[in-house]
Amino acid sequence: MLARVANNLFWMGRYIERSEHLARYLNVNYFSSLDAPNELSQSRQFVLRSIMFMASNEIIDAKIKLKEEDILFNVGLNTEKPYSIIHTFNSAYENARSARDLISTELFESINRINHSIKNYSPEAFVKNGLYDFTTMITKSTAEIRSKIKGTLLHDETYAIIMLGIYLERSLQVTRIINAKCSDAAVEKIKYETIDDGSHQWSTLLKCVFSYDMMRRFYKKTPNKNTTLEFLILNPDCPRSIKNSLGQIKKYIRIISKHQKVTNNSAAFLIGKLQSEFEYKLIEDIEENIEDFISDLINKLVVIGAKLEDNYFKIAETPIIENVKVLKQNQ
Amino acid sequence: MKKTIKLPLFSSYEFDSKFYDELFSKNKEVRDIYKTLFKLFSQYSVKEFNALNDRAKESFFNLGITFQVYGENSVQEKIFPFDLFPRIIEHKEWDTIEKGVLQRSKALNHFLWDLYHDQKIIKQGIVPLDLISSSENFISQMKGVDPPEGIYNHISGTDLIKHSDGNYYVLEDNIRCPSGVSYVIGNRTAVKHALFGVFNKYNTHRVVDYGANLLEIMESVKPKGVDNPVCVIITPGVYNSAYYEHSFLAKQMGIDLVEGRDLFVENDFVYKRTIYGPTKVDVIYRRIDDLFIDPLVFRADSLLGVPNLFSAYKKGNVCLVNAPGTGVADDKAIYTYMPEIIKYYLDEDAILSNVHTYHCSREKELSYVLENVDKLVVKPVDESGGYGISIGNKLTKEEIQKVKDTVKANPRKYIAQPIMSLSTHPTYIEETQSFEPRHVDLRTFTLLGKDKEYVLKGGLSRVALRKGNLVVNSSQGGGSKDTWVLKS
Repeated sequence: MLARVANNLFWMGRYIERSEHLARYLNVNYFSSLDAPNELSQSRQFVLRSIMFMASNEIIDAKIKLKEEDILFNVGLNTEKPYSIIHTFNSAYENARSARDLISTELFESINRINHSIKNYSPEAFVKNGLYDFTTMITKSTAEIRSKIKGTLLHDETYAIIMLGIYLERSLQVTRIINAKCSDAAVEKIKYETIDDGSHQWSTLLKCVFSYDMMRRFYKKTPNKNTTLEFLILNPDCPRSIKNSLGQIKKYIRIISKHQKVTNNSAAFLIGKLQSEFEYKLIEDIEENIEDFISDLINKLVVIGAKLEDNYFKIAETPIIENVKVLKQNQ
Repeated sequence: MKKTIKLPLFSSYEFDSKFYDELFSKNKEVRDIYKTLFKLFSQYSVKEFNALNDRAKESFFNLGITFQVYGENSVQEKIFPFDLFPRIIEHKEWDTIEKGVLQRSKALNHFLWDLYHDQKIIKQGIVPLDLISSSENFISQMKGVDPPEGIYNHISGTDLIKHSDGNYYVLEDNIRCPSGVSYVIGNRTAVKHALFGVFNKYNTHRVVDYGANLLEIMESVKPKGVDNPVCVIITPGVYNSAYYEHSFLAKQMGIDLVEGRDLFVENDFVYKRTIYGPTKVDVIYRRIDDLFIDPLVFRADSLLGVPNLFSAYKKGNVCLVNAPGTGVADDKAIYTYMPEIIKYYLDEDAILSNVHTYHCSREKELSYVLENVDKLVVKPVDESGGYGISIGNKLTKEEIQKVKDTVKANPRKYIAQPIMSLSTHPTYIEETQSFEPRHVDLRTFTLLGKDKEYVLKGGLSRVALRKGNLVVNSSQGGGSKDTWVLKS
């Protein structure tokens, strides 16, 4: 497979996954805040800040008063914001377009059709009353796309590269969502010393990653900080947990690197190393210093992403010229 | 002109006896071959047909069979206009077309070999030297180069029209990078979905085998010493207007669609950059114009091509499909010599007729052209895509004078032909919600390889959507139709 196209497929997978997490975070946080147990978690400003922190990694100065319509528009449909859902999904589409000869017609059709629906979604309707409808459409759409990836592509290197993109992005996004919600819970805890450890925030966190129902099934208890983090970070069977994603990443890098010698510091090596660390990790090892654990994990995942690009997707540096697009084929 | 048909979908169908109408005979009866199809269309109400038409368009849009229009701030995605009323060609009629286009493609291949080698046809005075020496498309670097298996024009697109006398004439040959074949297949899919009830009443040749045949042709012209050739298509990239076609063909053939930056040349061999390192490439179907394929030999500012590609080609280590320099032979001035070229190389008479052509480079003919601009189509010899064409009877006095001045300034650059009466075909016009006759042509696709030749049994019927317009190119607002070639 061409290195350039492999890169397109990898990023297609990443952007599809990212769109879903953004949509889900927006949806769950916004709606669960409406009947939240205390004034702070009900506060628009608090929720909007949390959304901005997750979407763009931005910590907004407490003095700035955020406007709800602006934040929703920026995260949902503002094409000028690289973190917006519309921008993210369009990047998935552009990457799919560059690799459309390699993917199935059915898969491309879904991505193309969904991209049209997002582009044509009215921003006015979205900020007025379309938040639920729009974000639900995105999560449904990404599910459709994943099913087409799984059901219509050969499960060969092409598939492995898309899945690598999906799972690397998933582990990163879930880590960032955990980070955002831990920080929300910490703020809440400082403000309301007397309350429990914020079960409301933990439920929201689980719902943000589609894991609430299964977590309840597994622990048969109201989620608290420890059980939630254990479930989302270390449960091997939860399809959204970090441990599960790392296992998937390892499985797919093996498909790609099976004919190669794994050298120290290669992507395959670093993935194996990180996955092994998780194999025997306990929640007790993490809970003491969750912040450091998260920032260390994010760093490692970012390094793995860069290594993958370096090991497999390298192409010659050619500047893209604007006039490429005006070159016509007339015959 | 008068209306005769009372059916809702044909309420605006106006007959014009000057043209050959493919659906109705001179006495306004539906031709036999179209009777079953016409019966189906006559059953639809306008509402039903609009719904059918909208669904077909939506499917093109969802499948991304589109091209991009670049505005000042935004990019718009559009589908190529497509008409659901298919054109039907009878077996016997097709037989002549097929033999005729194959004959032309073969003759052109001989001609190209000769032009880049001994130039016997020029030495014997059959084709004048100045036509070649003055052609911008003659690539001197190709002199003496032997393309693998001696094939230059692996892929030819021949444009034909049906004149008011009911005969087909060749309008032009396209042997650089003829495009449009993906729409032939896309149109067929759309028509099958929309008209399934009638499709099976016609015994039509399939068109989906084009990709498999193209791959066989490509593999047949592999460089010497290669057993299992690695074939690729090279595209200028996603912004190119024909990108859909490039990706479609790559997918059909299961081969890589590469850009210039995916390839490199080392020791005169071509490699693609894969996730596991370099893999040698043997045959390249290039959808990049001659001047862009190698910045070291042709345009130095080209970022689309591959440095040293031409050198690898000259050494015979890679095959380019089509060969560089084919443009010299599909020049509209060379076109006029096609009957002589066919006779010279194949010792046969041309099966398909040419449209009579006046060379402005010849003094006598130039003066005829200048006096009769209003009755002629004047075309630049080396443009394609319908650019620079003037159609005499549509011009104002000032415009006629302008054409005269342009031609006088550079007579070699222009030819003129009588205004041909392209046949008309029922085409759905959304504004009037009715079928109306519109002019159509036909592009056929011919493949030549080592011991293999193939003509796609079908083609792209291109239709001029504006009333009375004779230019069918998609770049000039043309649409297209599915074309059914019937089995015997």
